[in-house]
Amino acid sequence: MSVFLNKNTKVLVQGITGTQASFHTQKMVAYGTKIVAGVSPNRGGTKHLGVDVYNSTIEAVKATKATASVMFVPARFVKDAIKEAVEAELETVVVIASGVPIKDMMEIKAMLKGSKTLLIGPNTPGIITPDEACLGIFPENIHKKGNIGVVSRSSTLTYEAVIETTRAGMGQSTVIGLGDDMIVGTDFVEIIKKFHEDNNTKAILMIGRQGGMYEETGAEYYAGLKYKKPIIGYIAGSTISTQDKMGYAGDIITRGKITTESKKETLQKAGIMVADSINRIHQLLENLK
Amino acid sequence: MNIHEYQAKKILNRYGINIPVGAIAYTPAEAKRVAVNISPKGPWMLKAQIQSGARANGKFVEKNAGKLGGIRYITGRKDIFEEAEKMLGSTLVTEQTGSKGKSVSKVYVEQHLTVKQTFYISLVIDRMIPCITLLVTEETTNIVDAVINKPEKILRINLDINEQINNNQINRIINFLKIDKKYAKNLKQFVCGIHKAFIQLDSTMIEINPVGIDAKGNFIALDAKISFDDNALYRHNDILRLHDDYEDEDRVLKAAKYGFQYREFNDGSVGCIVNGEGVALSIKDMLFETDEKMDCFLNVKGGVDKDKISAGIKIIMTNPRVEGILINILGGFLRCNLVADGIIAAASEVGLNVPLVVRFEGTNKDEAQEILLSSNLPVLMADTMQDGVAKLLKAMKESD
Repeated sequence: MSVFLNKNTKVLVQGITGTQASFHTQKMVAYGTKIVAGVSPNRGGTKHLGVDVYNSTIEAVKATKATASVMFVPARFVKDAIKEAVEAELETVVVIASGVPIKDMMEIKAMLKGSKTLLIGPNTPGIITPDEACLGIFPENIHKKGNIGVVSRSSTLTYEAVIETTRAGMGQSTVIGLGDDMIVGTDFVEIIKKFHEDNNTKAILMIGRQGGMYEETGAEYYAGLKYKKPIIGYIAGSTISTQDKMGYAGDIITRGKITTESKKETLQKAGIMVADSINRIHQLLENLK
Repeated sequence: MNIHEYQAKKILNRYGINIPVGAIAYTPAEAKRVAVNISPKGPWMLKAQIQSGARANGKFVEKNAGKLGGIRYITGRKDIFEEAEKMLGSTLVTEQTGSKGKSVSKVYVEQHLTVKQTFYISLVIDRMIPCITLLVTEETTNIVDAVINKPEKILRINLDINEQINNNQINRIINFLKIDKKYAKNLKQFVCGIHKAFIQLDSTMIEINPVGIDAKGNFIALDAKISFDDNALYRHNDILRLHDDYEDEDRVLKAAKYGFQYREFNDGSVGCIVNGEGVALSIKDMLFETDEKMDCFLNVKGGVDKDKISAGIKIIMTNPRVEGILINILGGFLRCNLVADGIIAAASEVGLNVPLVVRFEGTNKDEAQEILLSSNLPVLMADTMQDGVAKLLKAMKESD
């Protein structure tokens, strides 16, 4: 078992004909991902890298029964691409692009409400279930099958976290990047929940960062669980002060100044073990053995 | 992106928001001249145009700028010239600028208006919901204290992206601030105006502190701040033109030109090149426990072009405060070999005279290491982030 993605998941690639999309599609296929279709407007009916190309997501889903998608479209077209994905009732959508406008993200979140679609990203490396399938841009060679569920809000630190599990002699059940953008589709709560439902996940590694309150809401949810799998956490940015602000509104929204320290405290209070440096995570993992 | 008060007021005025008559001035003589045009006898407000809040309580670094802050009430024509002269070219430090402060290159001269009541209003993104949140309070100075100690002092109204402001919400604001009910129509026009501006312009924050209500019940923006979503600026060429390059450091501007993020802390000696802000933050945290601190980092995330990456690396290599460079690339989308090529190109152009430690992981790692090792550059390779930090510190000590 795994979360969201396994070797049987039928995947389509939105924007498959671009240079980056082509490079990563080849890598995903080589890893074993079941890529059944690509979408590229006006290229329908052709083949790209051996994959059937369709004009629209809806057409592609009808023809192939794909349930997941990875999107390589530029940030400014993400909203329209997600609209198609929602209408096609895809279950999981990964958005690689960074810098989707905030207004678009708010409209996207409104579209997703009540839909069947779960959005991972934007600005994420994606989802990978080691030795089964990869939905995104991960450097696959650092991954190993195992029992640690990794979830991270900092895209490149996701890789660092994975390397830490390897250093501890462990592997990963599924690795999920939530995305680095200001507003993301899915938060820690949803993923912590899924990892608790997954038999293959014995412990969770949660990587957070300064800014926003995603870590706090995740910790709050975890604190309320009756049955808990161990979580090891790390928050990047303890030595950064938030200077150069404009106005008071930001501090009012978060009901006071949110610091990395206050984040760590919230995590610890919820029963999460917090590593004080990213390269010390493997020590905490070894303690779980 | 942020803009100045005078620019924000002009924009809001287009959305039907009342603003005091005012004009911008770059010299003391110009300040005096525009002041007379605005109001022959005064009084006037003279306001330093830097992109920061809390200017009134700010302090100038220069002694001859006087003890007053960046917002000054002026009654005599002669004083306009003198006070403008004190402020222009001086550096204003506020609780929002950091200790370096910001240099004042222009002042805004405004008619002084007498108002009967003031309040704070802002629209801002609450990313956690997410929605646009309207914030209102009668506090206009110690707002953050009020948030922490007296949260009941602040009224929050969450607005869905597709939601308009309705009469019920206006009545809540009226009751909360104890505004005369007969001004409800004016208030609604005011709030709807800023809401419309917020949505149409892809704003992330509009803050008016304070709003003044005059004897006739007019609502007037006595100050204004607007921030815009950088990622949506492509849809707003008119806003993009308002960008003030002098508000940013040169290196920040250069990096932005290549689409990279650059951040300076000014209190260290290590320069870092990473892909992903989280990695930079982690290295900074690691260095904090050592003798050397991080001075700056460049985030080349999303870069796919060797020339761009080389230009970015040069920004770090030519920073005179940098005495050691750590490059930590976890290749996914960005391929390590591109960075290796970029390092060699940059070093051949500007020279490499400080220790350089490189750690590659992920996509095309082996190829990248091969490229660097077969070049003649004195590069040290590291296996982990921690190893990179250790090797760099050792090399920096030896080169001292």
